[in-house]
Amino acid sequence: MRRSRIPFLTTLVVLAFFYLPILILAVQSFNHAKFGGRWRGFSLRWYEELMRREDIHRAAWNTLLVATSSTLVSMLLGTLAAWVIYRHARTRLQRFHFGLVYAPLVVPDILMGMSLLLFFVNLTVPLSIVTIIIAHTTFCISYVAFVVLGRLQDFDEALIDAAQDLGAGWGSIVWRILLPLLGPGMLAGGLLAFTLSIDDFVITFLVSGPGDTTLPLKIYGMMRRSSPTVINALSVIMMTVTFTIVLISQRIMLKKQ
Amino acid sequence: MNKKLLLILVLPLAALAALFTSACRWQSRPALYVYNWDAYMAPEAVKLFEKRFGCRVVLDTFDSNEAMYAKVKAGAGGYDVIFPSSYQAYIMHEEGMLLELDHALLPNLASVDREYLHRFGIDKGMAYSVPYMTGSTGIGYRESAVEGFEPSWTVFDRADLRGRMTLLNDMRETLGAALKLLGHSLNTRDEAQINAAADVVIRWKANIAKFENEGYKQGIASREFHVVHGYSGDILQVIEENDDPDIVYALPVEGFSIWEDGMVIPVDASNAGLAHAFINFMHDPEVAVMNMEYNYYMCPNTAAYALVDPELKEDPNVFIPEALRAKAEMIEPLGEDLQKYIRAWDRAKAER
Repeated sequence: MRRSRIPFLTTLVVLAFFYLPILILAVQSFNHAKFGGRWRGFSLRWYEELMRREDIHRAAWNTLLVATSSTLVSMLLGTLAAWVIYRHARTRLQRFHFGLVYAPLVVPDILMGMSLLLFFVNLTVPLSIVTIIIAHTTFCISYVAFVVLGRLQDFDEALIDAAQDLGAGWGSIVWRILLPLLGPGMLAGGLLAFTLSIDDFVITFLVSGPGDTTLPLKIYGMMRRSSPTVINALSVIMMTVTFTIVLISQRIMLKKQ
Repeated sequence: MNKKLLLILVLPLAALAALFTSACRWQSRPALYVYNWDAYMAPEAVKLFEKRFGCRVVLDTFDSNEAMYAKVKAGAGGYDVIFPSSYQAYIMHEEGMLLELDHALLPNLASVDREYLHRFGIDKGMAYSVPYMTGSTGIGYRESAVEGFEPSWTVFDRADLRGRMTLLNDMRETLGAALKLLGHSLNTRDEAQINAAADVVIRWKANIAKFENEGYKQGIASREFHVVHGYSGDILQVIEENDDPDIVYALPVEGFSIWEDGMVIPVDASNAGLAHAFINFMHDPEVAVMNMEYNYYMCPNTAAYALVDPELKEDPNVFIPEALRAKAEMIEPLGEDLQKYIRAWDRAKAER
């Protein structure tokens, strides 16, 4: 019997549906015309303009600062959260804790953003880049925790008992057993958090202070009056970065399994 | 051992915190925080201000009045000058969010066009806002694709252009266009007139491709749409940047709306003095000219009219001739009566 071609074709259609718009965006970023649509020849002028725009550089710098720091902090806190949830899985407190860590994954962004903004305003914390980092960390923790929890599923607890039997203290257990085994999970979770932080618009819009424009905020503001083609070029660069990171994180996950 | 571990965890955090506080403070020049639409001020004008006042201008951008308002209203302060549209400035003033302007610090207001202000302005005494730019809402069309175009709202009744036209997805603008077609004021409070306008919009809906606030610029440039309802500056910008004389902007003979973006100072501005200086600077005739030529909008400043590039001065779409201006109106705040518009608009949008 011949194998059906339908699954193959379906895959093809779905992939086209996912990636064709992105491809068109990438092609349009090289269009000479200011308002896309008609092709007016290959040109790098929008990438050149990106080089010149200091406001975009500032936004890119802010984005990187926010993404890097919220990733680092959430890698730390997320791993700790995953560890206690795993170690004390049967206690009521940890099951409640699990729910709390799970919530940010399903709570709508607008709700989180609004509640964080009101929180900061009520505590009279001045909005700044620090409040963006705190906000991003809150949702990044959950992603890191979940990836690390996944790694913990096939973690052999006997290793810890064995290490303790041999006289290892907690310091060397963490350093020589936990970190090497959980490291890839932490890294993968961290990279996921990084991409989410780079992309976030809604929460960032609400909790950013004056002058702390990140790239998504900048792009959104530019939609109204600037040329869409600059935005295309910028999006292509952002996408390249995001895809690269996702690729790396997948590699890490696969290699260790 | 546990203590050491704790130290390992805490140290990077402390280092990060130190990094930020230092990164935020490394510049010592005073900063003016401006919240504005993107690409709305000539960059050379901003540079000149920074040089003249020894400060730096930190510019954040918003893309709709509503988004800006939601954020500032929720308490996200820190801005010194904001550029809302006049109706939004009125609402913010009503809610006590804006500073009363000190005219002693604003000598350049003497050259603000008083004729314009009395006829169209909402804040006629410039008590809390100073007009920055004004323009019109009209029709952009592709000449070669639209046979026998008449500058009239009736173009949206033409079945031969079905699916090739867009109307603004804006309650007051689009109902306002229909009200003008019917010969009413676009600020009417008469429910019967508003409902009649909704019926016109429902009739138009059969002919248009969609209600569209942004994509129409790209749509008309790429020949996807032939007739678009849109803002003067947007359409003139498309014409200029695509160097496409086939696209034309027209003001309907039945009348149209005039909009205005103003400059305001929020009550919690940290540098109100510099904010006043900035507003005053924007009405320096030479700076106003820079901004006009950058935006293709009109800055209502009589001293600047004399200095502006004659080509811009003679453009009837920027400096609207009196015959057309006579039928134009500013969209004014209506308070409670706005509900009538909301009901009519919801009905028009829901109708299939």
